[in-house]
Amino acid sequence: MIRIYFKRVMLLLSSLIIVLSGAAQSVFTVDAPRVVGLDESFRLIFTASAEPSSFNPPTFAGFDVLAGPSSSTMSSTQIINGKRTESFQVSYTYVLQPKSLGKFTISSASVVIGGKGYTSEPFTIEVVKGEGSGSSGTNESSQATENISSDDIFMRMSTSKSRVVKGEHLIATLKIYTKVPIAGFENVKFPTFNGFWSQEVDTPSNIEFVRESVNGKIYNAAVLRRYMLLPQQTGSLTIDPSEMICQIQIKSPASSSQRSIFDDFFDSFQTVRKRITAHSVRVYVDPLPAGAPPAFAGGVGDFRMSAKLNRDSVNANEAVSLIVTISGTGNINLIEAPKIEFPADFEVYDTKITDKSSKTGRGASGSKEFEYPLIPRGSGQFTLGPVQFSYYDISKRKYISLTSEPLTLGVGKDTGGGTISSSSLSLGVNKQAVRSIGSDIRYIKTGSSKLKRGNHFFFGSVPFFALLAMIIALYFVLNKYLSKRIERNRDVAGAKNRRANKVARARLKTAESMLKQKQYSRFYEELHRALLGYCSDKLNLPLSDLSRDNIAGSLTEKSVKPEFIQELLSLIEACEYARYAPDPGGIEMDNNYMRAIKLISDLEV
Amino acid sequence: MKRIVLFLYFSVAISLLDAQTPKELWKNANNLYSQSNYSEALENYLKIEDMGYASESLFYNIGNSYFKLKEAGKSILYYERALKFNPSDKDLINNLNLAKDFSLDKIEEIPDFILGTWIENINYSLSSDKWGIITLFLFAVAALLLLSFRFGSSSRIRKISFFAAMAALLLGLGSGYFSMNQKHRYNLKNTAIVMKPVSTVRSSPDNSGKTLFILHEGTKVELLEELGQWKRVELADGRQGWIFSVDIEVI
Repeated sequence: MIRIYFKRVMLLLSSLIIVLSGAAQSVFTVDAPRVVGLDESFRLIFTASAEPSSFNPPTFAGFDVLAGPSSSTMSSTQIINGKRTESFQVSYTYVLQPKSLGKFTISSASVVIGGKGYTSEPFTIEVVKGEGSGSSGTNESSQATENISSDDIFMRMSTSKSRVVKGEHLIATLKIYTKVPIAGFENVKFPTFNGFWSQEVDTPSNIEFVRESVNGKIYNAAVLRRYMLLPQQTGSLTIDPSEMICQIQIKSPASSSQRSIFDDFFDSFQTVRKRITAHSVRVYVDPLPAGAPPAFAGGVGDFRMSAKLNRDSVNANEAVSLIVTISGTGNINLIEAPKIEFPADFEVYDTKITDKSSKTGRGASGSKEFEYPLIPRGSGQFTLGPVQFSYYDISKRKYISLTSEPLTLGVGKDTGGGTISSSSLSLGVNKQAVRSIGSDIRYIKTGSSKLKRGNHFFFGSVPFFALLAMIIALYFVLNKYLSKRIERNRDVAGAKNRRANKVARARLKTAESMLKQKQYSRFYEELHRALLGYCSDKLNLPLSDLSRDNIAGSLTEKSVKPEFIQELLSLIEACEYARYAPDPGGIEMDNNYMRAIKLISDLEV
Repeated sequence: MKRIVLFLYFSVAISLLDAQTPKELWKNANNLYSQSNYSEALENYLKIEDMGYASESLFYNIGNSYFKLKEAGKSILYYERALKFNPSDKDLINNLNLAKDFSLDKIEEIPDFILGTWIENINYSLSSDKWGIITLFLFAVAALLLLSFRFGSSSRIRKISFFAAMAALLLGLGSGYFSMNQKHRYNLKNTAIVMKPVSTVRSSPDNSGKTLFILHEGTKVELLEELGQWKRVELADGRQGWIFSVDIEVI
């Protein structure tokens, strides 16, 4: 009885799924339990979403057709919020029984709907030994006992991979297997995933039992939870056991003595609580191999990267964004923003990260966008990047480095520069010195350009040194010339002096002898005569014409120095005086003689 | 025959038009500048420069044109070039300071010794060539005075001419130094101006070197050595690093 009840539920569920899936897309589908017992009879239902004009049944190798095909039609019309949806389906039902153990494939059936042919997928059914849960109870008694063994109901945690590298995703599935009907769950304790980054994925909204064979036994299995795990540590990681208490409905043990009349009509059920546990699972996480490129950002999987600027050219002090998009499958949600070296004059703000990835049973996939807001402070042509991104490729077992094209950004001159100065001007309001209203460079030089070729300098040039050498040479030449002339002049003077002295001595020869003989009056007489004779020779005047005035005048005409004239005149006077005067002594004579010699020498020079 | 003559005549005329003399270009450029047509004025000035001519006024005017075209870095470069001809020109210093206000980097420069500035002012009050001529003149005077010292008729004349000769000789050496100094300074290629809006100075002459500091357009640096495409530079405040040669232009 319970079996029938369960079966109804199953049927309802499965037909619901069929309806849902049929409504979605499939035109012609097949549905049957995947696992059946050897003695079990089961239904195989082909469903078409429209009235077929013909139905071509499949071959049922390995199965006995107990009944069928019986066709049924179902149509429904829904009006929700004025929106009308109609569904229609035709189903062909077979009741089959397996002939032997093993796996059998029911070939595809085909229908023609509206002139178009549709075929169903081939359907594989595993036939196992043992009782099918749907079979009418041969061993009902064992089910009815209170001793529900761990064979009858158990939980199992399975992982898609048992050995992964750090960051590689794996799927952990928590499943319940039961042979007994379950009324509900209590104290559900789901596992914790220490050392993993975990996220629930693809968890069905309602628990949906599917037949599965475990160790040759047929169970109704359902996925309780499915997790995507990303190992964050290396080594042997353990997924903690999960446990829960199941409320299992069992038929109350029939004590025939106490059975009331009503019991015959209603099966009496009793809920038994049983604690079931999924054993812990170990996952071995290998570290990523050494030699990660510097741009490795923790990505493990298969990725692509693109980088672009939202604008190609901006003005200085205006914002621009570099957008790096990484797409692919893998631990995309854990990828860090690639490090990009921006030109030093750029102000870089916090990276904005948009995660557009979705996690499914096959791991995370999608894209992640990193937006780097930048403000260039100086103008010029800048090259950003290239953006480098490295990840570990699981299938190739190596690091892959992606490099974007270098991005060029033209930064123009700042256009809004005036705002800063105006704000600073408002500060000094109270007191101000004479302020220049504007400043400008001074005007160009309009006079002569004074252009000259290259770095031509007079100093150190050939003409400069030539002139310098000329000056020095001139100095030496002049020096030599002058010194020679002076020497010659000196010689002429000496000769003259010597000649003059000679003349004087010759003239005064008799006077000298008189001096030696100390003949006083004779000496002066001779001296007087000699002087006058000298003057007459010198001035070309006859002796008779000589007078003192005459001599002085003529000598002055000849530009003889006045002192010499004076000396001459005084000497002549002294001679004339001494001729008629008594002898005063020898010294005066000597003196006058020397004076005369000197005078004549001087005059001769 | 007539045609050929005509053709020759035209080709000569065209070539004459084409090859303007620097003087014409100069006049033209000044006119354009006064009409606020800075870019064309600049074009003409640069043509003169391309012909191999140089002068303080030319570089000053080029600097002014660049300034008006809002290219502060280039204007600083040309002002600095003009400064090599005459570092004491007031207009030049004024404009250079103004242009420097537009460059981003503020580097504390050590002020020059006041005596040095005076000497500098005297030095650049005349051109190198004029100092050279003065040098030769003074040497000639000194030579004559030395002759007078040697062959002077009286000791007083000799004494005076000796001291005068010494003074002339010293002055001549001084003006010679001025002339030489100007030439040396002009030929010195040890400073440069950063031309790129943003330029990175690194710790070693390759791209992997650690970034030490950032220089902006218009900053003056001193060149210390060169290695491949990199130049070692020193800032006015003493900091050093390697900069990519393309980023700077030697004054």
